[in-house]
Amino acid sequence: MTLRNGWRVTWGRFLGVVTALIVLAGCGGGGSPSSSTSQTTANNTLAVEVNLGPANNYVNGIFATVTVCVPGTSTCQSIPNILVDTGSYGLRLLSSQVSVSLPQTTQSGNSSNVLQECVTYADGSYTWGQVVTADIEMAGEKASAVPVQLISAPNTGLAVPSACTSGGGPNDGTVDMLDAYGILGVGGYPYDCGDGCTSASSAVSPYPYYICSTSTGLCGVTSVPLANQVQNPVWLFPQDNNGVVLVLPSVPAGGQATASGSLIFGVATQSDNALGEAQIYATDSYGNFTTTYNGVAYSQSFIDSGSNAIDFLDSATLGNIDCSDNPGWYCPASTLNFTVSNTGYNGVGQGSVEFSIANADTLFKTGFAAFNNLGGDSGSSIATDYFDFGLPFFFGRSMFVGIAGTTVPNGVSAPYGYWAY
Amino acid sequence: MKTTLTVGMALVLGAVPAWAVLGQYESSVSLDQQALRGELRQEARQGYKFHQITSPNGTVVREYVSPAGLVFGIAWQGPFMPNLQQLLGSYFTELQTARSGVRRRGGPLVVQTDKLVLVSGGHMRSYHGHAYVPSLLPSNVSAEVVR
Repeated sequence: MTLRNGWRVTWGRFLGVVTALIVLAGCGGGGSPSSSTSQTTANNTLAVEVNLGPANNYVNGIFATVTVCVPGTSTCQSIPNILVDTGSYGLRLLSSQVSVSLPQTTQSGNSSNVLQECVTYADGSYTWGQVVTADIEMAGEKASAVPVQLISAPNTGLAVPSACTSGGGPNDGTVDMLDAYGILGVGGYPYDCGDGCTSASSAVSPYPYYICSTSTGLCGVTSVPLANQVQNPVWLFPQDNNGVVLVLPSVPAGGQATASGSLIFGVATQSDNALGEAQIYATDSYGNFTTTYNGVAYSQSFIDSGSNAIDFLDSATLGNIDCSDNPGWYCPASTLNFTVSNTGYNGVGQGSVEFSIANADTLFKTGFAAFNNLGGDSGSSIATDYFDFGLPFFFGRSMFVGIAGTTVPNGVSAPYGYWAY
Repeated sequence: MKTTLTVGMALVLGAVPAWAVLGQYESSVSLDQQALRGELRQEARQGYKFHQITSPNGTVVREYVSPAGLVFGIAWQGPFMPNLQQLLGSYFTELQTARSGVRRRGGPLVVQTDKLVLVSGGHMRSYHGHAYVPSLLPSNVSAEVVR
């Protein structure tokens, strides 16, 4: 292993120690891969299935099997039930489901100082655990030495920092809570934080990365060089590395027990991932675009296979359609149909989409997993900021995700990445 | 700098004093500013006062103060979730009421009780939301301003 990447560690300040430049040892992620020029054609199609997940309660959960290996070895493990998530970036695995020994990222010269991460999600739930590295194999593709989050089970390992729990939600470190064995973040960014986490001055709580002493148990926030941040493994493939296509079949209005589809790696790199008729919608620097409904522009909209509903507006605005027993879900007396307009960053991409919202209580009673018409609120009775086009929006579509900074097919401008459908 | 050190220590050790901002007097805004180590901008608006704190970590927190001097609303936007426990103070416990029934996955958190209205949403690298206390809204000020 070689020494790489200076690390300015801010916890030194908390402990009254002069902040020092510390060098990180470990198998960090590689540099920026070049665009696809490989002569060989890899099998780029990974099977995915919409089902209820390993805890049997994930409505509209979409899962795949991912193989992780100790870097540079043939010591590998295939892990099923990994949630396919276009709303996050990087692979996160429940430590309880990982049997191979993946090396943890530590500081060089002081292996008792380890890199940990806390991700707090918008609903306040969180995952906390070590940053490790793994070779990742999916279909015929392989990414080497990828930083990955190994999610700790509750009450194991280093104590969860208080800022990590400050969203007020549950610890998703168990199969019962996560209802998955891990999360595969294949959204439109290479890194889970990016440039926002590389400067020491930015490391102010709440912050995702921590340096922790395994001898004292103390943790403090720290900046992390890009190469050591948890990152989207697709971006580290030698080819087919500019994005993904998530393909799901149509399902009936009453739902379907399960649904099988494909996660295809690369956009316009092989015959099976050509854009075809799909239109590109550029995203802004936050990964968002604008959805217009009833003359109101919702400027922070996004597409997220990890959201299990189309989340938009609020019950009062839509005529008090809240479910009485399932807060946040929509339960209209009869199915509602919507037509909204989406506009990409700088006007790159413009078009209307239609979707329906049916009664969630009725759908839940089927015991099925796959629904194209589940809805929920994203706001209160005052104006909200966004539509979240969750998994219902993916059925019957090929949804292209273009990673920020990659060459965009068709030559349109999408510097911060794009969706295409 | 000494104050910052103390605040940092408290955060690390979890020995956080009463942070309390929402529903508290305006002076608690400076506590937030210290915790976020941010730059503070203030302005008077029609019927209320407005503070905006920009943290070096990229998170922007806006706080809305009534003529009575109470913080009646907060809003945030940034690459990470803010410390809601700190920003909501005693209203933090209201979050638990929203967590029942079939779990919403990977989506927003919306809380609407008599005491608190809160909306938290977004995705990794882009989080935003707002919260307000309906009973503390100044007369002639719409909840729409808290955003």
